Amino acid sequence: MSLGDLQRRFIASVSGTAARGAFDARGMRVYANNYRGQLMTAMRDAYAKTRLWLGDEAFDRAADRYIDEHVPSSWTLDAYGHDFPDMLEHDYPDDPDVSELAWLDGTLRHAFSGHDGVAIDAGALVADDWDRVEFVFVPTLRFRRMRSNAVAIWKALADEIMPPGAVQASAGEGVRVWRGGLSPRFASMDARECACLDLALAGATFGEICERLRQWHASAAIAAEAGGLLNAWLGDGLVMSLRQG
Amino acid sequence: MPVQSPPAFHGFGLGLRVPHYADFIATQQPVDFVEVISENFMVDGGRPLDIIDRVRERYRVALHGVSMNLGSVDEVDIAYLRRLSALARRVDPLWISDHVSWTGVDGFNAHDLLPLPYTEEALDVLVANVSMAQDVLGRALVLENPSTYIAFADSMMTEAVFLSALCERTGCLLLLDVNNIYVSATNHGLDPDEWLEGLPLERVRQVHLAGHSQGRDMLIDTHDAPVPDPVWRLYARFASRLGHVATMIERDDHIPPLTDLLAELQQARLIAASAARQAA
Repeated sequence: MSLGDLQRRFIASVSGTAARGAFDARGMRVYANNYRGQLMTAMRDAYAKTRLWLGDEAFDRAADRYIDEHVPSSWTLDAYGHDFPDMLEHDYPDDPDVSELAWLDGTLRHAFSGHDGVAIDAGALVADDWDRVEFVFVPTLRFRRMRSNAVAIWKALADEIMPPGAVQASAGEGVRVWRGGLSPRFASMDARECACLDLALAGATFGEICERLRQWHASAAIAAEAGGLLNAWLGDGLVMSLRQG
Repeated sequence: MPVQSPPAFHGFGLGLRVPHYADFIATQQPVDFVEVISENFMVDGGRPLDIIDRVRERYRVALHGVSMNLGSVDEVDIAYLRRLSALARRVDPLWISDHVSWTGVDGFNAHDLLPLPYTEEALDVLVANVSMAQDVLGRALVLENPSTYIAFADSMMTEAVFLSALCERTGCLLLLDVNNIYVSATNHGLDPDEWLEGLPLERVRQVHLAGHSQGRDMLIDTHDAPVPDPVWRLYARFASRLGHVATMIERDDHIPPLTDLLAELQQARLIAASAARQAA
């Protein structure tokens, strides 16, 4: 048997997609246990709050199925489990809190070791034409709209207090995740901030963001509202630089 | 072009693990070096890089990887090597080590150190991959004997002869894991002392000492227990033949207080000193 054939058969045996008959059963049992154990440990580490929320049994059942259906391909285990929130969304269509907790777990984990970015403060807010200014955000910033109160649940689980029951979020609400200094952070957003951040991340100018705010505010209040949003983003260390669009 | 070997280094160290990061950063611990798992620091940014920078301010660092996949018929992942190379530029390590094993094929990564048959074909594959990795990294690799749970009927040579040929053909160096020798030899019904026969001891740069556990059918290289007496005795028997090499305690699970590991390291120092006196 060529080395390539041997290695393909070995992998099939380790992952359980083929019988172990070609190899010594005692030894193969060790490798198969190691394989599954490594992946399960990685899933439990990456989705710790989701596991607390679902309970060990339900979580392990879901993770087991994920392992059956998803081949690890990256050199780093940190990349494994990336699609787990999507699988949970499919598995729990009426309980968005489950997949949203998993998204929060996974995104915070990626923010932990994501690219560094130095945020500017208000003193660096200088522009000739504010209408055409675009924002460059720290590379770890991610956001999503939420259908549940998963943020409050995650926070309670992290604080080791009784989490609230799952309830539906108001329409358009969301959460943003980023790393401030060395620590991953998150903040809830109302529908207005969510829409504006969505635009800004897509490359919209400050002028276009102000235009979007007209959906919620009268013209006279737009400048103050936009300034408030910008202040919040600067204060949280989300903005790396301004760019003239 | 001959690969550049790391300069000789003699000392006693520990594998640096998460529960002890703060201890190592806050105070100078009585070690000559630490070994870190390379992949834990091959990240884009954030706290892991801050930690390795602060550790490096106090200690010499050896980079020990588990994912180079050197024995696979797949080529070594160039993106992986570039990340490792960037980390090496940051850390200026004593050396870079990985394992004489494979982790996957056709893009599947089992995240485990899988065994190779000791054949000419496996040697050719390994030599090609090690040579490529050494070219990219610009230095000779230090490669470790893994614990194995399967022996292949196709094997044409002993593990020691296989390692010797690998060193000869690539210029690589060896990291001898004494626990792995004991585990593999026991699992395959071999005498651990005989395992060493034919090994080019002059190529050994580092020694790992660790513990194992008894599985259902075999010894398992769990690295979750103190170095057991049979491993200490094996180390004592061949320490005098090794000369001065870097020696460390490797614990990956059930991590005890740092003082426990430092006590184990002191035992290694005493054994090495005794071996040196006997050899003199």
